[in-house]
Amino acid sequence: MKPETQNKLTIAIVIAAAIVAAAALFISMRMSYPPDEARVVQIIEQRLAKEVSSGSTDGLNEAQVIQLIEERLPVAKSGPAGKGVNEARVIKLIEERLAAGTGTLSEKEFSMRVERGIVAFIEKQRRAEQERPNQLARNVPPVGKSDHIYGSPNAPVTLIEYSDFECPFCKRFHGTVKNLVDESRGQVKWVYRHFPIEQLHPVKARKEAVASECAGELGGNDAFWKFADRFFELTPSNNQTDIDTVLPQIAREIGLDKKLFASCLVSGRHDKRIDEDIRDAQTSGANGTPWSVIVSKGGKTYALSGAQPQAAIKQLTELALQEK
Amino acid sequence: MRSYLGDLRTALIHVFAHAGYIALASALALAAFLFAVWFPNFALMGDVFSTPGVALTAKLQIALSLLGGIVTNFNLLSAGYTVAIAVLFGINAAMIAYLLKQRRAMAAGQNFAIGSGGMASGALGIGCAACGSLVVSTALSSFGAAGALALLPLQGEEFGILGAVLLLVSVSLMSKKIAAPISCEPSPARAKQHEPAIASRRDRC
Repeated sequence: MKPETQNKLTIAIVIAAAIVAAAALFISMRMSYPPDEARVVQIIEQRLAKEVSSGSTDGLNEAQVIQLIEERLPVAKSGPAGKGVNEARVIKLIEERLAAGTGTLSEKEFSMRVERGIVAFIEKQRRAEQERPNQLARNVPPVGKSDHIYGSPNAPVTLIEYSDFECPFCKRFHGTVKNLVDESRGQVKWVYRHFPIEQLHPVKARKEAVASECAGELGGNDAFWKFADRFFELTPSNNQTDIDTVLPQIAREIGLDKKLFASCLVSGRHDKRIDEDIRDAQTSGANGTPWSVIVSKGGKTYALSGAQPQAAIKQLTELALQEK
Repeated sequence: MRSYLGDLRTALIHVFAHAGYIALASALALAAFLFAVWFPNFALMGDVFSTPGVALTAKLQIALSLLGGIVTNFNLLSAGYTVAIAVLFGINAAMIAYLLKQRRAMAAGQNFAIGSGGMASGALGIGCAACGSLVVSTALSSFGAAGALALLPLQGEEFGILGAVLLLVSVSLMSKKIAAPISCEPSPARAKQHEPAIASRRDRC
């Protein structure tokens, strides 16, 4: 092959790869946002035009609008919390707009009202999307009796961590938060909750979460933390842990009854709690682990993604301490 | 290989002889690096900076301390390609600007496309790949991207590596253009036939 042809071929391959990468980025960005204002208004306008051309001069009624939204924005019904257009809110908004009017609206009046409502709604959605992670962090359930707490239970600042026992960054972060709480002199407490990412760490991450709950059930809060500390010391992470050896070994080391621990592991009685933790993590905005929410005494939240350095967490907890 | 390195050296000397291009490359490399490291916590930073009654120095300290995430929140591979992408992005942009100033817009445009692809691919590789907190899993969380990533041998870090490679190719191709003298050359076929070196459409300028 001639050098010039070879060069051209190389360039063509590289450009093709670049286009594929750019397209992947474009598609992923499109998928993550709700339908934009122009698109929704266009849909409504098309439907209104259809109504007019079919001879209906009274305009759309409420039921028709609701049906329209149900038909055209399926993402609103199926999307997870916080993503996509929320159907119930759109319908409520339109209902409010309709209730504000009297009698049957003309097509033009109705069109204007719906359009204004949709524009206002989408603007609200867009703002919510921008500040989504921190807004969602407010959904994190408050500390309860079943939570595993490290540090003073009366500490004014709480760091709630959603963690996966097979995540290497959670392993790193575990030591960081422990140091922080130890050095905080009773100002910060740490709550550990489960967020096993089963697609990346199938079977093992969940089983280890169950094992930690069994440790807590059989030996109390201290046993839970002893289990977690020792597990993170032993695990090579990334689903490489030999759980058949490591879990009984830790149970033995921390003084748990071997038989009770083994029966607890297969009982399935902690599955519900772990599922709830996963759901809570997702509704509080978590996309990966470790995911932490720092909560001040007054309830102000700071959502922190990843295994960030101790200095950063310390600064944030100090900020939370200033909150009343 | 030796000629590629020679071209790269010549091109870097040409471009970075001007302080303006050094400033441009440094600023863009820094911006790309900051974007990559802060990306998982943009919302947090927005929240911190919009909190009233907190000293600006305290806010800046939080932003600066989050930069330590390059050590704690990245593995060696992801930290390596994140830094490489940032540096190559800066060099790439400076070279494109240099070519544009030399009025070699066609070469600049072609390499801009490759460089953009590199950046796009690199952006997909940002984050903690092992735990699924990537741009791609964030964006495609509704479509089971974490499951798809689990099928990849490096669980998504391939995107970052591809990004660095594309930017490297772009820099290398541009180096060749920059190192070549601005003159017209006959096509190799004509040179073989000892035809007069008359510039035509088929000749390389």
